Amino acid sequence: MPPLRIALAQIAPRLGLFDENLARHRELIREAQGRGARLIVFPELGLTGYQLQDLAADVAIRLDDPRLASLATEAPDASVVVSFVEESDDHRLFIAAALVEGGAVRHVHRKLFLPTYGLFDERRFFAAGDALRSTESSLGVRVGLAVCEDFWHLPVPHLLALDGAQILVNVSSSPGRDLAATNEAGLGTASSWWTLMATYAQLTTSMVVFCNRVGVDESISFWGGSEVVDPAGRTVFRAPLFEEGLFTVDVNPADIRRERIGLPVLRDERPELLVRELERLVALRAELGENVRPPHEADAIAKTNGRPSRRARARG
Amino acid sequence: MTSESAAEPLFELPSELAIDTDVARRVIDEFIRTQLRQAGFERLVLGLSGGIDSALVAFLAAEAIGADRLLCVLMPYRTSSAASRTDAESVVAVLGCESELIDISPMVDAYFDGSGGSDASALRRGNFMARTRMAVLYDRSVTWGGLVVGTGNKTESLIGYTTVYGDNACAFNPIGDLYKSQVRQLAAAIGVPAEIIRKPPSADLWPGQTDEAEGSFSYPVLDRLLHWLIDRRRGADELAEMGFERAVVDRVMRLVATSEFKRQVPPIAKLGPRTAGVDYLYPRRRPGSART
Repeated sequence: MPPLRIALAQIAPRLGLFDENLARHRELIREAQGRGARLIVFPELGLTGYQLQDLAADVAIRLDDPRLASLATEAPDASVVVSFVEESDDHRLFIAAALVEGGAVRHVHRKLFLPTYGLFDERRFFAAGDALRSTESSLGVRVGLAVCEDFWHLPVPHLLALDGAQILVNVSSSPGRDLAATNEAGLGTASSWWTLMATYAQLTTSMVVFCNRVGVDESISFWGGSEVVDPAGRTVFRAPLFEEGLFTVDVNPADIRRERIGLPVLRDERPELLVRELERLVALRAELGENVRPPHEADAIAKTNGRPSRRARARG
Repeated sequence: MTSESAAEPLFELPSELAIDTDVARRVIDEFIRTQLRQAGFERLVLGLSGGIDSALVAFLAAEAIGADRLLCVLMPYRTSSAASRTDAESVVAVLGCESELIDISPMVDAYFDGSGGSDASALRRGNFMARTRMAVLYDRSVTWGGLVVGTGNKTESLIGYTTVYGDNACAFNPIGDLYKSQVRQLAAAIGVPAEIIRKPPSADLWPGQTDEAEGSFSYPVLDRLLHWLIDRRRGADELAEMGFERAVVDRVMRLVATSEFKRQVPPIAKLGPRTAGVDYLYPRRRPGSART
């Protein structure tokens, strides 16, 4: 497999200015492609800016919006990940990331986890996605898309890898905070994120591509620090903090196969175990009580305490 | 420019409050530039008292946009200390920014003398001075064509040691999330003159006044306490266990609670379908909001 050149567009989107951001995307897609990039990644809400609040509805687009397709035609030979506010037919607003290639929208991921705590208020303005799928791509490997907070939930990288993704792409608008001098790079947020990326790469033996924005929306400064991590968890490239730029990095997709042969932890995952235990936990959390215990366990209880369980009574 | 030669440290910095000053400058400089760009302004104006907070903001502003686009207004009252003025002037000299001296004594005295308030308390006078300075700054905002940049720190904001619509009035505040100890750390890193960092902080409303004597606290202790209380969510019992004096903990928690109103936009009675700040929520800086 030939090396894959990835371009990270660590940009500072202008809040609420869709067309201005679109023009910037076009420009950078052309530049990245000129530099030989085959995967070009833009940050979360790169087409709109992050702190939209009630502006969200004003900048929302349908998936058939010609402006979205226009980005695809800009890069005939590349796969591009862009992010925007998607309005569905029933007028829900989603934070979406789309893989566009070959002149069309190949795949759309709607952000699953909307942080609504601390400095975040996303659930007030957006609907949460309900599906998680990896997707074919013209890169020759399956790709898994996720948006920012999605990666603060273990099942997301796990499920994407189980669904065949070999490259996990997380696009973010992560606000920098916790400026303690004791942190790596002096920024708590950066340390946390980089730790997550390396961990997911190792646990899923996948390539991880993280594109985080820079710039300022209102009080919030986004920290950048975009990176590419190889399937062994090694950082191949890390972009500078707070600096706007188009960064290209070469990776070897053959590393994914090598890692998965040498360290077959993904092969050894037990999704059926996960399903069983999750079903039990889901029922337990819904307070369905003993009905969710395996039958043999219910019988054992009935024998030891001398009183038949409800299940045993029902059967008797 | 950092002074490292003195055997005695310039200030006491509790270890849990230490920040990466390079990252802080990076964030703040870009924050300042973005605020200006989004508002359609290129210049800043601030009230320079001679104290560390406004000195630090002046240095940050000069670093972010260049000293030639900064106007520092010195606004002494007749009882203000001469040292404050000297220190403010030294900041202007080091930075090479524009400055203006406006004596607020006639304005303040005219009000109190003319309205039978010649026996007004120091608190009333102090608040009136702060609001007079605010009025001057917002007038100079027009003549200079610049935004008023705030200079209040996190410590004074949290304990309410501010005058509402006085020293806390601004278009934006670059240091409002830094405790006094962190202001000192950043000031030392960016080159604020050592005398300004070393001298005891004062509102300078009467001769010899200092923050720490007036409030009977020390900034390092107060900053640590606020950090653990606010940022690290420790309760009163936990703080006492950590070694903070119970009486101090109780007093600081009271100060924080009673000054909540100073940190928030005043509530509007909800009547219509969409109410600003309640269910009409737009970014301050949105498309079309910039001055053209």
